Amino acid sequence: MAPTLIERRDPLTQAEGVVQGYAQTARRWPAQPLQRRPQTAAELSGPSALAQRLAGGQPIAASSGDIAGRGEKRAIGQLMHLRVRVVDEDGVPLAGMPVEIWHCNAAGKYIHPNDDHDAPRDPNFYGAARLLTGDGGLVELRSIKPAAYPVPDTAGWWRPPHVHFSVWGRVWLSRLVTQMFFPGEPLNESDAILNAVRDPAARARCIARLAPSTGNALVFEHQIVVRGRKAAAPM
Amino acid sequence: MARLVPTAEMTLGPFFPREFAEGQNDLTDGGKAKGELIEIVGRVTQSDGKPLDNLVLEIWQADAAGRFDNAAFAGWGRAATDAQGNYRFRTIKPGAAPGRAPHVNFLLLYSGLMKHLQTVMFFGDTADPVLDAVSISRRKLLVGKADGNTWRFDIRLRGDGETPFFED
Repeated sequence: MAPTLIERRDPLTQAEGVVQGYAQTARRWPAQPLQRRPQTAAELSGPSALAQRLAGGQPIAASSGDIAGRGEKRAIGQLMHLRVRVVDEDGVPLAGMPVEIWHCNAAGKYIHPNDDHDAPRDPNFYGAARLLTGDGGLVELRSIKPAAYPVPDTAGWWRPPHVHFSVWGRVWLSRLVTQMFFPGEPLNESDAILNAVRDPAARARCIARLAPSTGNALVFEHQIVVRGRKAAAPM
Repeated sequence: MARLVPTAEMTLGPFFPREFAEGQNDLTDGGKAKGELIEIVGRVTQSDGKPLDNLVLEIWQADAAGRFDNAAFAGWGRAATDAQGNYRFRTIKPGAAPGRAPHVNFLLLYSGLMKHLQTVMFFGDTADPVLDAVSISRRKLLVGKADGNTWRFDIRLRGDGETPFFED
Protein backbone atom coordinates (compact mmCIF):
# COMPACT_ATOMS: atom_id res chain seq x y z
CA MET A 1 0.00 0.00 0.00
CA ALA A 2 1.18 3.52 -0.78
CA PRO A 3 2.38 5.65 2.14
CA THR A 4 -0.16 7.88 3.85
CA LEU A 5 0.96 11.31 2.68
CA ILE A 6 -2.07 13.16 3.97
CA GLU A 7 -2.13 12.64 7.71
CA ARG A 8 -5.33 11.96 9.60
CA ARG A 9 -6.65 14.77 11.76
CA ASP A 10 -7.25 14.66 15.50
CA PRO A 11 -11.07 14.28 15.75
CA LEU A 12 -11.10 16.66 18.73
CA THR A 13 -9.98 19.45 16.40
CA GLN A 14 -12.74 18.73 13.86
CA ALA A 15 -16.51 18.47 13.86
CA GLU A 16 -18.52 15.64 12.33
CA GLY A 17 -21.58 13.52 12.84
CA VAL A 18 -24.90 14.40 14.41
CA VAL A 19 -24.71 17.63 16.41
CA GLN A 20 -27.17 18.43 19.17
CA GLY A 21 -29.17 21.55 18.41
CA TYR A 22 -28.52 21.27 14.66
CA ALA A 23 -31.42 19.09 13.49
CA GLN A 24 -30.35 18.75 9.85
CA THR A 25 -27.25 16.82 10.86
CA ALA A 26 -29.48 13.93 12.02
CA ARG A 27 -31.04 13.65 8.56
CA ARG A 28 -27.86 14.11 6.54
CA TRP A 29 -24.78 12.73 8.27
CA PRO A 30 -24.27 9.05 7.33
CA ALA A 31 -25.41 6.50 9.91
CA GLN A 32 -22.69 4.07 8.79
CA PRO A 33 -19.11 4.78 9.87
CA LEU A 34 -16.91 6.46 7.29
CA GLN A 35 -14.70 3.92 5.54
CA ARG A 36 -10.93 4.33 5.55
CA ARG A 37 -9.25 3.93 2.17
CA PRO A 38 -5.72 3.80 0.80
CA GLN A 39 -4.24 6.98 -0.69
CA THR A 40 -3.50 6.58 -4.38
CA ALA A 41 -2.74 8.87 -7.34
CA ALA A 42 -6.38 10.02 -7.26
CA GLU A 43 -6.38 11.32 -3.70
CA LEU A 44 -2.81 12.65 -3.93
CA SER A 45 -3.22 14.82 -7.00
CA GLY A 46 -5.33 17.85 -7.75
CA PRO A 47 -6.20 20.31 -10.52
CA SER A 48 -3.30 22.73 -10.98
CA ALA A 49 -5.36 24.88 -13.38
CA LEU A 50 -8.19 25.55 -10.96
CA ALA A 51 -7.77 29.33 -10.95
CA GLN A 52 -8.46 29.28 -14.70
CA ARG A 53 -11.41 26.90 -14.50
CA LEU A 54 -13.32 28.19 -11.51
CA ALA A 55 -14.61 31.44 -12.93
CA GLY A 56 -15.48 30.07 -16.37
CA GLY A 57 -12.69 31.38 -18.60
CA GLN A 58 -12.19 34.46 -16.45
CA PRO A 59 -9.07 33.53 -14.48
CA ILE A 60 -8.93 34.55 -10.86
CA ALA A 61 -5.87 36.74 -10.50
CA ALA A 62 -6.27 39.34 -7.76
CA SER A 63 -5.16 38.66 -4.21
CA SER A 64 -7.18 41.55 -2.84
CA GLY A 65 -10.75 42.69 -3.32
CA ASP A 66 -13.31 45.19 -2.14
CA ILE A 67 -16.99 44.30 -1.64
CA ALA A 68 -17.73 47.11 0.82
CA GLY A 69 -19.83 48.89 -1.75
CA ARG A 70 -20.75 49.05 -5.41
CA GLY A 71 -19.35 51.97 -7.31
CA GLU A 72 -19.70 55.14 -5.29
CA LYS A 73 -22.29 53.65 -2.95
CA ARG A 74 -21.12 52.25 0.36
CA ALA A 75 -22.66 49.11 1.78
CA ILE A 76 -24.35 49.57 5.16
CA GLY A 77 -22.31 48.38 8.10
CA GLN A 78 -19.00 48.54 9.93
CA LEU A 79 -16.12 48.58 7.47
CA MET A 80 -13.68 45.74 7.93
CA HIS A 81 -10.46 44.65 6.31
CA LEU A 82 -9.76 40.91 6.30
CA ARG A 83 -6.20 39.67 5.99
CA VAL A 84 -6.25 35.90 5.65
CA ARG A 85 -3.27 33.61 5.16
CA VAL A 86 -3.46 30.07 3.77
CA VAL A 87 -0.62 27.78 4.89
CA ASP A 88 0.11 24.06 5.22
CA GLU A 89 0.80 22.20 8.48
CA ASP A 90 4.44 23.34 8.36
CA GLY A 91 3.34 26.96 8.09
CA VAL A 92 4.53 27.10 4.47
CA PRO A 93 2.40 29.69 2.63
CA LEU A 94 0.35 28.39 -0.28
CA ALA A 95 0.58 30.92 -3.11
CA GLY A 96 -1.56 30.89 -6.25
CA MET A 97 -4.52 29.13 -4.61
CA PRO A 98 -8.13 30.17 -5.24
CA VAL A 99 -10.09 31.33 -2.20
CA GLU A 100 -13.87 31.75 -2.24
CA ILE A 101 -15.36 34.03 0.40
CA TRP A 102 -19.02 34.76 1.20
CA HIS A 103 -20.96 36.28 4.06
CA CYS A 104 -24.28 37.95 4.87
CA ASN A 105 -24.90 41.69 5.03
CA ALA A 106 -25.07 43.98 8.06
CA ALA A 107 -28.71 42.96 8.59
CA GLY A 108 -27.99 39.21 8.53
CA LYS A 109 -29.26 38.58 4.97
CA TYR A 110 -27.42 36.54 2.31
CA ILE A 111 -27.53 37.35 -1.39
CA HIS A 112 -28.77 33.81 -2.08
CA PRO A 113 -32.38 33.59 -3.38
CA ASN A 114 -33.06 30.71 -0.95
CA ASP A 115 -32.50 33.00 2.05
CA ASP A 116 -36.07 33.82 3.16
CA HIS A 117 -34.98 35.45 6.44
CA ASP A 118 -37.09 38.54 7.06
CA ALA A 119 -34.23 41.02 6.89
CA PRO A 120 -33.54 43.69 4.26
CA ARG A 121 -31.21 43.30 1.34
CA ASP A 122 -28.56 45.96 0.82
CA PRO A 123 -28.50 47.01 -2.85
CA ASN A 124 -24.90 48.16 -2.45
CA PHE A 125 -23.61 44.93 -0.98
CA TYR A 126 -22.78 41.76 -2.85
CA GLY A 127 -21.47 39.26 -0.32
CA ALA A 128 -19.21 37.03 -2.40
CA ALA A 129 -15.65 37.29 -3.73
CA ARG A 130 -13.09 35.04 -5.40
CA LEU A 131 -9.43 35.76 -4.83
CA LEU A 132 -6.09 34.09 -5.50
CA THR A 133 -3.52 33.84 -2.72
CA GLY A 134 -0.45 35.96 -3.37
CA ASP A 135 3.07 35.55 -2.09
CA GLY A 136 2.88 34.62 1.53
CA GLY A 137 -0.41 32.78 0.95
CA LEU A 138 -2.27 36.00 1.63
CA VAL A 139 -5.64 37.31 0.47
CA GLU A 140 -7.10 40.62 1.59
CA LEU A 141 -10.71 41.69 1.41
CA ARG A 142 -12.35 44.99 2.29
CA SER A 143 -15.95 44.44 3.25
CA ILE A 144 -18.49 45.19 5.94
CA LYS A 145 -18.87 43.15 9.08
CA PRO A 146 -21.67 40.57 8.75
CA ALA A 147 -24.44 40.46 11.36
CA ALA A 148 -25.82 37.62 13.45
CA TYR A 149 -29.04 36.02 12.19
CA PRO A 150 -31.63 33.51 13.45
CA VAL A 151 -31.52 29.99 12.02
CA PRO A 152 -34.97 29.00 10.67
CA ASP A 153 -36.95 26.28 12.49
CA THR A 154 -34.74 26.29 15.57
CA ALA A 155 -35.55 27.25 19.12
CA GLY A 156 -33.90 30.63 19.10
CA TRP A 157 -30.52 29.65 17.68
CA TRP A 158 -28.76 32.72 16.33
CA ARG A 159 -25.60 32.25 14.31
CA PRO A 160 -22.81 34.57 15.48
CA PRO A 161 -21.32 36.81 12.78
CA HIS A 162 -19.07 34.70 10.55
CA VAL A 163 -17.44 34.58 7.12
CA HIS A 164 -17.40 31.45 4.93
CA PHE A 165 -14.13 30.36 3.28
CA SER A 166 -13.59 27.74 0.59
CA VAL A 167 -9.92 26.95 -0.02
CA TRP A 168 -7.77 24.40 -1.81
CA GLY A 169 -4.37 22.95 -1.09
CA ARG A 170 -1.86 20.89 -3.01
CA VAL A 171 -4.04 17.82 -3.56
CA TRP A 172 -7.66 16.59 -3.61
CA LEU A 173 -7.55 15.64 0.08
CA SER A 174 -6.42 19.16 1.04
CA ARG A 175 -9.83 20.64 0.23
CA LEU A 176 -11.19 22.75 3.08
CA VAL A 177 -14.41 24.70 3.59
CA THR A 178 -14.66 26.51 6.88
CA GLN A 179 -16.00 29.57 8.68
CA MET A 180 -14.17 32.44 10.36
CA PHE A 181 -15.63 33.97 13.52
CA PHE A 182 -15.06 37.36 15.17
CA PRO A 183 -13.43 37.93 18.56
CA GLY A 184 -15.51 39.01 21.52
CA GLU A 185 -18.89 37.95 20.11
CA PRO A 186 -21.16 36.61 22.90
CA LEU A 187 -22.92 34.29 20.43
CA ASN A 188 -19.63 32.44 19.82
CA GLU A 189 -20.11 30.77 23.21
CA SER A 190 -23.35 29.03 22.24
CA ASP A 191 -23.08 28.44 18.48
CA ALA A 192 -23.82 24.79 17.63
CA ILE A 193 -21.43 24.86 14.68
CA LEU A 194 -18.38 26.46 16.31
CA ASN A 195 -18.84 24.46 19.52
CA ALA A 196 -19.09 21.15 17.67
CA VAL A 197 -15.28 21.42 17.60
CA ARG A 198 -14.48 19.97 21.02
CA ASP A 199 -10.88 21.15 21.47
CA PRO A 200 -11.00 24.75 22.85
CA ALA A 201 -7.68 25.64 21.20
CA ALA A 202 -8.98 24.44 17.82
CA ARG A 203 -12.13 26.53 18.32
CA ALA A 204 -10.03 29.56 19.24
CA ARG A 205 -8.12 29.18 15.96
CA CYS A 206 -11.41 29.64 14.08
CA ILE A 207 -11.75 33.13 15.57
CA ALA A 208 -9.94 35.98 13.84
CA ARG A 209 -7.61 38.36 15.63
CA LEU A 210 -8.36 42.07 15.79
CA ALA A 211 -5.23 43.84 14.55
CA PRO A 212 -4.20 47.45 15.11
CA SER A 213 -5.63 49.85 12.55
CA THR A 214 -4.94 53.43 11.62
CA GLY A 215 -7.88 53.77 9.24
CA ASN A 216 -11.64 53.60 9.62
CA ALA A 217 -11.96 49.85 9.07
CA LEU A 218 -11.61 47.14 11.68
CA VAL A 219 -8.68 44.94 10.64
CA PHE A 220 -9.04 41.21 11.24
CA GLU A 221 -6.21 38.74 10.70
CA HIS A 222 -6.78 35.04 10.29
CA GLN A 223 -4.88 31.91 9.32
CA ILE A 224 -6.26 28.85 7.57
CA VAL A 225 -4.21 25.63 7.71
CA VAL A 226 -4.80 23.05 4.98
CA ARG A 227 -3.42 19.52 4.84
CA GLY A 228 -0.78 18.41 2.39
CA ARG A 229 2.67 19.32 3.72
CA LYS A 230 4.08 16.06 2.38
CA ALA A 231 2.36 16.34 -1.00
CA ALA A 232 5.04 17.62 -3.33
CA ALA A 233 3.24 18.81 -6.44
CA PRO A 234 1.33 22.08 -6.16
CA MET A 235 -2.38 21.72 -6.88
CA MET B 1 9.20 23.33 14.21
CA ALA B 2 5.81 23.05 15.80
CA ARG B 3 3.31 21.41 13.51
CA LEU B 4 0.21 23.46 12.79
CA VAL B 5 -3.14 21.73 13.25
CA PRO B 6 -5.37 21.72 10.15
CA THR B 7 -8.23 24.19 10.51
CA ALA B 8 -11.60 22.68 11.47
CA GLU B 9 -13.89 22.12 8.53
CA MET B 10 -17.32 23.67 8.91
CA THR B 11 -20.57 23.30 7.09
CA LEU B 12 -21.01 25.04 3.73
CA GLY B 13 -24.41 26.25 4.91
CA PRO B 14 -27.45 26.63 2.65
CA PHE B 15 -26.40 29.84 0.91
CA PHE B 16 -23.32 29.03 -1.18
CA PRO B 17 -23.40 31.77 -3.83
CA ARG B 18 -25.16 30.71 -7.04
CA GLU B 19 -22.44 32.28 -9.18
CA PHE B 20 -19.85 30.04 -7.50
CA ALA B 21 -21.91 26.92 -8.07
CA GLU B 22 -22.78 27.42 -11.72
CA GLY B 23 -20.93 26.99 -15.00
CA GLN B 24 -18.43 24.35 -13.96
CA ASN B 25 -20.20 21.07 -14.60
CA ASP B 26 -18.85 20.58 -18.12
CA LEU B 27 -15.35 19.09 -17.88
CA THR B 28 -15.08 18.59 -21.65
CA ASP B 29 -14.58 22.22 -22.71
CA GLY B 30 -17.71 22.04 -24.83
CA GLY B 31 -17.11 18.51 -26.06
CA LYS B 32 -13.51 19.06 -27.13
CA ALA B 33 -11.87 16.76 -24.58
CA LYS B 34 -10.40 13.53 -25.96
CA GLY B 35 -12.26 10.38 -24.99
CA GLU B 36 -15.75 8.92 -24.70
CA LEU B 37 -18.17 11.73 -23.87
CA ILE B 38 -20.52 10.82 -21.05
CA GLU B 39 -22.92 12.46 -18.65
CA ILE B 40 -23.07 11.65 -14.96
CA VAL B 41 -26.43 12.42 -13.40
CA GLY B 42 -28.00 11.67 -10.06
CA ARG B 43 -30.27 12.70 -7.26
CA VAL B 44 -29.12 13.45 -3.73
CA THR B 45 -31.50 12.65 -0.86
CA GLN B 46 -31.47 12.68 2.94
CA SER B 47 -32.69 10.08 5.47
CA ASP B 48 -36.42 10.61 4.83
CA GLY B 49 -35.92 10.48 1.06
CA LYS B 50 -36.35 14.21 0.63
CA PRO B 51 -34.25 15.61 -2.24
CA LEU B 52 -31.68 18.25 -1.32
CA ASP B 53 -31.57 21.65 -3.02
CA ASN B 54 -28.34 23.60 -3.65
CA LEU B 55 -26.05 20.84 -2.37
CA VAL B 56 -22.60 21.27 -3.93
CA LEU B 57 -20.77 18.36 -5.56
CA GLU B 58 -17.17 18.55 -6.73
CA ILE B 59 -15.57 15.82 -8.81
CA TRP B 60 -12.00 14.84 -9.62
CA GLN B 61 -11.07 12.29 -12.25
CA ALA B 62 -8.39 11.06 -14.61
CA ASP B 63 -8.41 11.63 -18.38
CA ALA B 64 -9.20 8.90 -20.91
CA ALA B 65 -5.64 7.55 -20.53
CA GLY B 66 -5.87 7.35 -16.74
CA ARG B 67 -3.71 10.44 -16.06
CA PHE B 68 -4.66 12.94 -13.37
CA ASP B 69 -4.10 16.67 -13.79
CA ASN B 70 -2.73 17.13 -17.28
CA ALA B 71 -2.87 20.25 -19.40
CA ALA B 72 -5.35 18.88 -21.95
CA PHE B 73 -7.95 17.75 -19.42
CA ALA B 74 -8.30 19.42 -16.04
CA GLY B 75 -10.48 16.66 -14.59
CA TRP B 76 -12.21 18.90 -12.04
CA GLY B 77 -15.84 19.99 -11.97
CA ARG B 78 -18.52 21.37 -9.70
CA ALA B 79 -22.30 21.19 -9.80
CA ALA B 80 -25.13 22.09 -7.46
CA THR B 81 -28.38 20.18 -7.09
CA ASP B 82 -31.63 21.76 -8.22
CA ALA B 83 -34.82 21.90 -6.15
CA GLN B 84 -35.52 18.25 -7.10
CA GLY B 85 -32.10 17.18 -5.82
CA ASN B 86 -30.70 16.49 -9.29
CA TYR B 87 -27.17 17.18 -10.46
CA ARG B 88 -25.50 16.72 -13.85
CA PHE B 89 -21.93 16.60 -15.09
CA ARG B 90 -20.72 16.40 -18.67
CA THR B 91 -17.35 14.70 -18.84
CA ILE B 92 -15.37 11.89 -20.45
CA LYS B 93 -15.12 8.35 -19.23
CA PRO B 94 -11.88 8.16 -17.25
CA GLY B 95 -9.25 5.57 -18.02
CA ALA B 96 -7.66 3.32 -15.41
CA ALA B 97 -4.87 4.98 -13.44
CA PRO B 98 -2.06 2.63 -12.34
CA GLY B 99 -3.45 0.27 -9.72
CA ARG B 100 -6.96 1.73 -9.94
CA ALA B 101 -10.16 0.92 -11.76
CA PRO B 102 -11.77 3.79 -13.72
CA HIS B 103 -13.61 6.00 -11.26
CA VAL B 104 -14.76 9.52 -10.43
CA ASN B 105 -14.06 11.02 -6.99
CA PHE B 106 -16.95 12.96 -5.44
CA LEU B 107 -16.94 15.51 -2.63
CA LEU B 108 -20.22 16.78 -1.13
CA LEU B 109 -20.74 20.05 0.72
CA TYR B 110 -24.01 21.11 2.35
CA SER B 111 -25.78 22.49 5.38
CA GLY B 112 -26.08 19.75 8.00
CA LEU B 113 -22.74 18.29 6.94
CA MET B 114 -20.23 19.46 9.54
CA LYS B 115 -17.47 18.51 7.15
CA HIS B 116 -17.54 17.48 3.52
CA LEU B 117 -18.30 13.89 2.55
CA GLN B 118 -16.14 11.91 0.12
CA THR B 119 -17.40 9.12 -2.09
CA VAL B 120 -16.42 7.48 -5.40
CA MET B 121 -18.37 6.38 -8.46
CA PHE B 122 -17.14 3.31 -10.36
CA PHE B 123 -18.11 2.14 -13.85
CA GLY B 124 -18.36 -1.52 -12.88
CA ASP B 125 -17.80 -3.84 -9.93
CA THR B 126 -14.12 -4.43 -10.68
CA ALA B 127 -11.09 -4.92 -8.46
CA ASP B 128 -9.96 -1.63 -6.98
CA PRO B 129 -8.21 -0.88 -3.65
CA VAL B 130 -10.75 1.78 -2.70
CA LEU B 131 -13.83 -0.22 -3.75
CA ASP B 132 -12.35 -3.25 -1.97
CA ALA B 133 -12.22 -1.21 1.27
CA VAL B 134 -16.04 -1.25 1.27
CA SER B 135 -17.99 -4.29 2.49
CA ILE B 136 -19.08 -6.58 -0.35
CA SER B 137 -22.79 -5.99 0.27
CA ARG B 138 -22.42 -2.21 -0.14
CA ARG B 139 -20.08 -2.08 -3.15
CA LYS B 140 -22.95 -2.00 -5.64
CA LEU B 141 -23.96 1.38 -4.17
CA LEU B 142 -20.75 2.85 -5.62
CA VAL B 143 -21.30 1.52 -9.15
CA GLY B 144 -23.03 3.82 -11.62
CA LYS B 145 -25.79 2.55 -13.90
CA ALA B 146 -25.42 3.17 -17.62
CA ASP B 147 -28.21 4.18 -20.00
CA GLY B 148 -26.43 4.83 -23.29
CA ASN B 149 -23.83 7.49 -22.57
CA THR B 150 -25.55 8.63 -19.38
CA TRP B 151 -24.38 7.19 -16.09
CA ARG B 152 -26.68 7.50 -13.08
CA PHE B 153 -25.14 7.82 -9.63
CA ASP B 154 -27.75 8.57 -6.97
CA ILE B 155 -26.48 9.51 -3.55
CA ARG B 156 -28.30 8.83 -0.27
CA LEU B 157 -26.64 10.67 2.59
CA ARG B 158 -28.29 8.60 5.32
CA GLY B 159 -30.81 5.81 5.73
CA ASP B 160 -32.04 3.13 3.29
CA GLY B 161 -29.45 2.46 0.60
CA GLU B 162 -27.00 4.84 2.26
CA THR B 163 -24.05 5.60 -0.01
CA PRO B 164 -20.69 4.50 1.40
CA PHE B 165 -18.51 7.48 2.33
CA PHE B 166 -14.80 7.62 3.07
CA GLU B 167 -12.75 8.93 5.96
CA ASP B 168 -9.44 10.51 4.97
